[in-house]
Amino acid sequence: MKILVVEDEPKVAGALKEGLESEGYEVTLAATGEEGFFHASSQAFDLVILDIMLPGRDGIEVLQTLRRQGARLPVLLLTAKDAVEDRVLGLDAGADDYLVKPFAFVELSARIRALLRRNKVDSDSALRVGDLEIDPVRRTVTRDGHRIEITAREFELLEYLARNHNRVVSREMLARDVWKETTRATPLDNVIDVHVARLRRKIDDPFTSKILHTVRGVGFTLSEGEL
Amino acid sequence: MRRLLAPNLRTRLTVFYSLLLVGALLLYAACVSVFFLHNLREEVDASIDRDLETVEGNLFIGSSGQIELNSHEGEADEDEPDRGYFLEVWDQEGSLLYRTGQLEGQALGQVPGSESARSHREAISSRLPSGMRVRMMTRPHHMPGGKSVFVRLAVSERPLWREFWEMVTVLGVGLPLIVIPIFVTGYFVASKALSPVDAMARRAAHITAEQLHERLEIRNPDDELGQLGTAFNATLARLENSFEQLRRFTADASHELRTPLTAIRSVGEVSLQKGGDNTYYRDIIGSMLEETNRLTRLVDSLLTMSRADAGRITLQMTAVSLLDLATEAASLLEVLAEEKEQTLHVEGTGLTLVNADRTILRQALVNLIDNAVKFSPMKGDIQIRVFEEGTEVVLEVRDSGPGISPEHQRKIFERFYRIDKARTRSEGGAGLGLSIAQWAVSVHRGTIEVKSEPGTGSIFRIRLPRLAATKSAAPPSSI
Repeated sequence: MKILVVEDEPKVAGALKEGLESEGYEVTLAATGEEGFFHASSQAFDLVILDIMLPGRDGIEVLQTLRRQGARLPVLLLTAKDAVEDRVLGLDAGADDYLVKPFAFVELSARIRALLRRNKVDSDSALRVGDLEIDPVRRTVTRDGHRIEITAREFELLEYLARNHNRVVSREMLARDVWKETTRATPLDNVIDVHVARLRRKIDDPFTSKILHTVRGVGFTLSEGEL
Repeated sequence: MRRLLAPNLRTRLTVFYSLLLVGALLLYAACVSVFFLHNLREEVDASIDRDLETVEGNLFIGSSGQIELNSHEGEADEDEPDRGYFLEVWDQEGSLLYRTGQLEGQALGQVPGSESARSHREAISSRLPSGMRVRMMTRPHHMPGGKSVFVRLAVSERPLWREFWEMVTVLGVGLPLIVIPIFVTGYFVASKALSPVDAMARRAAHITAEQLHERLEIRNPDDELGQLGTAFNATLARLENSFEQLRRFTADASHELRTPLTAIRSVGEVSLQKGGDNTYYRDIIGSMLEETNRLTRLVDSLLTMSRADAGRITLQMTAVSLLDLATEAASLLEVLAEEKEQTLHVEGTGLTLVNADRTILRQALVNLIDNAVKFSPMKGDIQIRVFEEGTEVVLEVRDSGPGISPEHQRKIFERFYRIDKARTRSEGGAGLGLSIAQWAVSVHRGTIEVKSEPGTGSIFRIRLPRLAATKSAAPPSSI
């Protein structure tokens, strides 16, 4: 999978390249709108990550030109502006998704997976992480054969973590996807931490091997091995 | 065009009033002239009448049967044609019986008798073929012999017109003599009256963002300029106030940003100096990321506030049940209360609706309830009530916290204001929750207030205009 990253801030660009390469993508960097446009129109990419504020031609212009030329590859916009009208502008120009800076890398990687339609899971099939088993239809959880009683909210949380198992999930992703919170200003971090702690009490505490880990400063992950 | 005529207000005013004055004086002069002309003519007519009487007395029929005059005194002569009168005598048949020699054969008018009888008694003005303007009167006269004749007497109007034009000249010369001094005086009076405007303009031009404390000098607060100055000063006061707020906001925001930045910096520096194993570095990086998250949240809140200040948030208004919204907010934060073994009750009437943007209003409720949970002790009690009061819907959040002393109560809605700075910062607050709540309520034309006494907990009340009551009854809900 080839990804083009158009970003003028070298530190951010470097971090994105490193992070995405560690996830198995092939990354090409471009620092200006012109350069990005040149790469995008001369090579085949599977996805473009496009910063809006670029020197010279800005991201919106590049995107519009690409779309006018018939490029249909998915484009993810990065921007520091998050007013509604800015989002609308970006989506109108033909962006497939929109991420506001500063963003968590885990979130970017989740969005990229969604755009590339990789890891498309059958939402009805049972999920399994080690000896933990989740049945999305009957909404039951068992670990090592023992049935575990959890609340509806805890189930949604666990299901989300299981679908992203072995990957770190940020609190922002949980707030948006599990709690369906639309604004970032709502103080949900404590609420999420409490729910995770309770879930841990139920699925981890009675067992010797721990699978629900906190990654300090980033979020949580459901994974068999130790980090 | 208007600019061309009068570049400034004082000139414009003076020109306007001067033109009015000129118009009035011209009208007056015209009336006076007409009246004067009329009077002059009446005088002439009276003298013609007298002369006719005299002439009639002097008429006799001579020996040859011709009409003759006893005396020619008063008739116009060669030297002074304007002074005397011209005479014609006609008989009933229309033949000329006598004519003043000075007329040199010019007829004074048509044959008498062809005119109507009435006009015989009235004086008329006419012009002789020679160009001379005359005033004349024709009268029937019975001669001693029983013969009836028409006597026509005319005098030159030249002296009359001369007098008239003299009068007009006097008036015409007098007009500018009156108007010019008035124009000049008026201009100076207007300049004097408007001079505070100049002073105010000069003063206002010097006021910059750095000197907003300066005010315009007001000489008379009751006149129009004084009112203008007062209004301007009030605007300045508001500007100064908002500038001051902005300044404080910027300073406070910088302070708030400094704290996580300091943490990131010192944690990073110390760990680099000290060195350690992989786990140690992971922990350090995690700690730095935590601070980064705090910065992110802070910046998000700041952006929300600045957007709110700029009025750039558009509200999606719908009919919202305040109780439903409170229940939703409470259930979101319920786990936090449970962790502290607190009871969280929501009660009230779900029938009352308010017109609100759900997301924004919910933000206010979440912030209030979050605070209530945060400040109530373990096993504390939090009550949320929704009730109607007149045309308003009231939402009340009552906590069992330490309470807020009066000097803090006035300030808690200010941005970045924290009663116990160390305590709340460790819990992740930046002191923006209540000011965001206050903003969220105020954009719904509502108010927010706090009632508290130290030691007895606090009550926060949100008041919103009631929309309408729905018919369907909903049971009071509680969680």
